[in-house]
Amino acid sequence: MAHWRPVYAVLEREVVRMVRQRTRLVSAMVRPLIWLFVIGAGFGAVLQQAGGVSYQQFLVPGVLGMTMLFGAMLAALTMVYDKESGVMRMLIMAPFPHYWIVVAKMLAAALAALLQASLLLVLLALLGYLDAHMRFGLLALALLATSAACAGIGMLVAAFTRTLDNFAAIMNFVIFPVFFLSGSLYPVNRLPAALKAVALANPYTYGVDLLKHAVLGVLPSGMGADFAASTDIAVLAGFTVAALLVASWRFSRESAYEPMIRILTGKRDG
Amino acid sequence: MNPAPAIQLAVNASGLVKRYGDVLAVDGLDLDIPAGQFFGLLGPNGSGKTSTIHMLATLIRPNSGSAKIFGNDVVRDAVATRASIGLVFQESALDRTLSIAENLRFAGLLYDLPAKVIEERSAELLALFGLEEKRNRPVGSLSGGMRRALDIVRGVIHHPKILFLDEPTIGLDLPNRRKIWRFIENLREQTGMTVLLTTHYLEEADSCDRVAFIKNGKLVQSGSPAELIASLGRYIVEIESPDVEALAQRLMPSLGNHLRDGNVAHFRYAHDDVSRLAGLQTEPGIQVSALRWRQPNLNDVFLWVAEGKA
Repeated sequence: MAHWRPVYAVLEREVVRMVRQRTRLVSAMVRPLIWLFVIGAGFGAVLQQAGGVSYQQFLVPGVLGMTMLFGAMLAALTMVYDKESGVMRMLIMAPFPHYWIVVAKMLAAALAALLQASLLLVLLALLGYLDAHMRFGLLALALLATSAACAGIGMLVAAFTRTLDNFAAIMNFVIFPVFFLSGSLYPVNRLPAALKAVALANPYTYGVDLLKHAVLGVLPSGMGADFAASTDIAVLAGFTVAALLVASWRFSRESAYEPMIRILTGKRDG
Repeated sequence: MNPAPAIQLAVNASGLVKRYGDVLAVDGLDLDIPAGQFFGLLGPNGSGKTSTIHMLATLIRPNSGSAKIFGNDVVRDAVATRASIGLVFQESALDRTLSIAENLRFAGLLYDLPAKVIEERSAELLALFGLEEKRNRPVGSLSGGMRRALDIVRGVIHHPKILFLDEPTIGLDLPNRRKIWRFIENLREQTGMTVLLTTHYLEEADSCDRVAFIKNGKLVQSGSPAELIASLGRYIVEIESPDVEALAQRLMPSLGNHLRDGNVAHFRYAHDDVSRLAGLQTEPGIQVSALRWRQPNLNDVFLWVAEGKA
């Protein structure tokens, strides 16, 4: 049975909070632009242009992906914030099964990622980084699929994280590796074997690759997409479903029942 | 249709057991609460009150036993059960970054209420709780008392049939505790809601229709506050003595068990004629520095239950 009004409640709260936390939104825009301008220009000067693509242009799918990865991760981690702040008490008392909280939170994280990527897309268009040759239908699909997959990564992390104290660890051991060990900054096919193996196992790689299909296409130089678009879509969809199932299972287990309830109820047993 | 049963049970629990590792928090608890009753679950810290509430609220599973809330089984029909209950936790369940109105909207939507209904009920409840002026204030800026009041509004926005209040006034000062109690009274008057309360402040349980004392996870006494108080006796006699132990031993045959509080022994006294006790002061072998008597109250019931001597 679907509970759409509660899902809407969670989505609305996420958007309200996102708009209210200006710094979060501003840094979500500034971070990718810094990468594009600073790293893009810096490395662009060292690397020769290949196949008519400048390094900056090559980075456009990567920074779009980065926005979604960070946006979805931060939104998903509000699940942990909610456990600490008490809002989770409202959620676990509401009349729907507890896995539905995971469904709602994952949709909210995907929505946050999608909104931020759309905003960045507008900025990129204004700055002249988009052109008419791009496949906009595929771009929309890539944004959707990548947002969902990033939300999946976020929910997996959130479901296994008890407090936000280890947020730095999450940055260092999840967000950065997922970002660096993908095709965001370099073509996957040119990576050394070990790193390539890791990149191939990273679901986020396929999101960036699908974005490359939309933005760069497949280029003879190898600077474009690395895999078939259908492969990307299949991996992203498969991972998203798997992440949703694992996170739901984990959360239902945690809420069914003891450890989380005891945290939420102040561990006082009177 | 079957005729409605004479008394509808809001809570019908039998043999509830909850274990945390080696600790037996709730030990075969039976509890029946008729619909509409104002019921107080009282007991010392760690007696199993909160675990009981959380089992009834579907948040933790009993190891054995069963419980029904208005006919819904708390394990098998957890979702239907949650729809019929409101729960106010010891700790706040509000989003401090959102306004009062936004919190209530969020809570209402979680209960699948249409936006218009949420608006109407928020207005009514905020007026009842004296918060209508502040509806657009962020929750983070409210005082502790107002936040607790809002937490109760949040807990009843969906018009639950039963409201669980787990220490609703804990950490509040006296004026705010009184305010919260007035709100709860008004709420009960207007809705006839069943209320299950746990509290440490026993004078707050005086207005309950029925109270039950729980100790080591078991119900040890239950009844109306007046009955329980009467069961202690007519008076509580407090005798102060430099050698309180000897005094207690000496009086045990005539006055029974005592509770000790420093150099004062408390006895229960069943007779109307307290003046008979005055003779104690002149009795040989007993040193009495002070002798007082007073009517018992729920605090005395609590103490006698807690000491296991009731």
